[in-house]
Amino acid sequence: MADIYSIVTSQKLSYEQKVVALAHAAEDTLSVLPMPERTRFYFDKGVICNLNEGNAPYRPRYIMPDYEKAVKQGVKFLELDPPQDFDELLTFLQVLYRHVPSITTYPVFLGDLDKLIEPFIKDLSDEEVKRKLRNFFIYLDRTITDSFCHANLGPEATRAGRLILDVDRELEQAVPNLTLKYDPAITPDDFAEQAIYTSLCVANPAICNDVLNAKTYDRYGISSCYNILPIAGGSYTLTRLVLPRLAEMTKDKEEFLTKLLPEAMKCMADYMSARIRFIVEKSGFFESHFLAKERFVERDRFVAMFGLVGLAEAANHFAPEGKKYGSDAEADEIAEQIMDAITAFVDAYECPYCEIANHRLLLHAQVGIDTDYGITSGIRIPVGDEPESIYDHLRHSSRFHRYIPTGCSDILPFDITGKQNPAAVLDIVKGAFSLGQKYIAFYASDSDLVRITGYLVKRSEIEKWNKGQAVLQNTTQLGAPTYASAHLANRKVRGV
Amino acid sequence: MALVRKIIAQSTVDGPGNRTAIFLQGCNIRCAYCHNPETQAMQDAEAKEMSVAEVMTEVRKGIPFIRGITVSGGECMLQAEFLTKLFQAVKALAEEVHHPLTCLIDSNGTVPFARHPQLMEVCDGVMLDVKAWDSETYHLLTQARNDEVVKENLAWLLQHHLLTEVRIVCLPKRVDVEVILQNIAKIFDSIGEKAPARLLRFRPHGVIGELANHPMPSDEQMAEYAALAASLGLTATVK
Repeated sequence: MADIYSIVTSQKLSYEQKVVALAHAAEDTLSVLPMPERTRFYFDKGVICNLNEGNAPYRPRYIMPDYEKAVKQGVKFLELDPPQDFDELLTFLQVLYRHVPSITTYPVFLGDLDKLIEPFIKDLSDEEVKRKLRNFFIYLDRTITDSFCHANLGPEATRAGRLILDVDRELEQAVPNLTLKYDPAITPDDFAEQAIYTSLCVANPAICNDVLNAKTYDRYGISSCYNILPIAGGSYTLTRLVLPRLAEMTKDKEEFLTKLLPEAMKCMADYMSARIRFIVEKSGFFESHFLAKERFVERDRFVAMFGLVGLAEAANHFAPEGKKYGSDAEADEIAEQIMDAITAFVDAYECPYCEIANHRLLLHAQVGIDTDYGITSGIRIPVGDEPESIYDHLRHSSRFHRYIPTGCSDILPFDITGKQNPAAVLDIVKGAFSLGQKYIAFYASDSDLVRITGYLVKRSEIEKWNKGQAVLQNTTQLGAPTYASAHLANRKVRGV
Repeated sequence: MALVRKIIAQSTVDGPGNRTAIFLQGCNIRCAYCHNPETQAMQDAEAKEMSVAEVMTEVRKGIPFIRGITVSGGECMLQAEFLTKLFQAVKALAEEVHHPLTCLIDSNGTVPFARHPQLMEVCDGVMLDVKAWDSETYHLLTQARNDEVVKENLAWLLQHHLLTEVRIVCLPKRVDVEVILQNIAKIFDSIGEKAPARLLRFRPHGVIGELANHPMPSDEQMAEYAALAASLGLTATVK
């Protein structure tokens, strides 16, 4: 109760943030999910972590509505007819976004924004479109006060896509997070270069390897912190395994790989299955929510994300003294053994209600949370251990990205000279993608907006928060401690 | 073998796209504004004798992230035979890895390209410095009197579609930028071919001697040069 009192009386939380925190506190008074003794043990040790998903899930964690379908047929529950012009479309989307639930209470996916907009702007000048888009983006940034919110572009170049990039660069906002789906056979260089240039100005958009990620499902989108999920579906849950904490509990690699890791994975998978069952069988979401009833999402298009964090530290734990993940073959081989063991487990484990994933849990390189100290995001190389050569860095990521279907990424700060030659950065992206890199994000070393672990935060907002002032974006509260604890200011800056 | 000063695996400033840049030791002119004067001497303790194979080991590391290589200097054309073998090796590598690679030369234009047909066969383009147009201005800036060769090269490269860009370092009073622009525009017109011009702002960084503390030309001055270039029908970028 002391916790609730401190939420009610906080001066650092905005009104909306208090409401969400109180709802969370209420949910956590329930205990409806089975928690066997060993599962409880791994939770208590911080090995399994449900990322504050709450004790009684009443909606899937991430929802990816089929906005294209909604725009075509209208939304009965919201009394919205199909939009007829650009103004109507923007109003339609604003209303619909407001009603898309998620773990953050805000929509984590805003759709293929360029494709949604393109048919409505034929008769408008660039200036008219940009003026309306500016207002739309300001509305999104100030009402979706959480940058785990993602709109997608590409892979085709469209006029809408180019105008969205222009407006994004002018406004310099944390929301919406943008990702360009990039396919060298479809995306023209000049469009990709515009995206990279924008990214070196405002840390947005990130670039997704469309060739590889498109193979994951029939239709995919990028949501939240670069989650690769089925459109018209989403993910029930994201629970994560904190590998270094488990490694520290074992006496050697053998015990880790053959005893504790399999046991912890089984506990986590059973726990995730229980969450899925509760959402599907008890919460009533799929029976009552308009997104399901009007079939903007389909129950059988939801997956469940089996998260991993700290592969680097786990591998380093078992590697010979001084050998490091990212630069030494010995440590990398151990990391591969760990990934092989995890892959074998999820390939064999059958989970309920995940038809689109062949009833399997899908691996996700979880980015970490603000209270992770000394634990590196997913499968990334720790800040400070990056190889001297960017090429070696990207070769390494490509080797490990192949294990992860529902999202993994690298974030590279670039020297500002990169801005003068986006084509050079595109060459690097093309090379990395051809080797198997799935997703890459940039920002310029002098940019106010920075990518923390996948989401965007303004350095100027972090300073405000650190001084004890209330800030608009929830993600600033997560980003401020992470920026410090993960030493992100020390990320190796690439360029010449 | 060549005397190599430095290899930069990832360069975004030596031609189009991402390139591996190779800087050879030794130059035949002495530009007052040279920003890497340490590469001028024909011998230097910090430069290293390298074989084509040794350089190729470095180039290989950039596959598939680079669009090609750029050889600069010093004046790399003083080691033209090495360049020929290096470029041939790069082209062979491109075939082997199925990844196109271009080979560019960054040159002061004082060695006649026409005399190196084998090199030109495997060279994708030249970024040519035009230091000055007036012979005396050229001599005062470079201590050399080989500016006629530069002009011949300009025309020859253009005719052979090998002029990737013309580079002009802009330093008012010491460089006759306006005259250069007028004359290259004339040559472009007479040949009926064009190449982009790059107007490089003089920067004192790395410069030694009389210009070490010389101020950079102003934004306004650079804008004037750019406007003149545009009025002459040139495609110019300011950097």
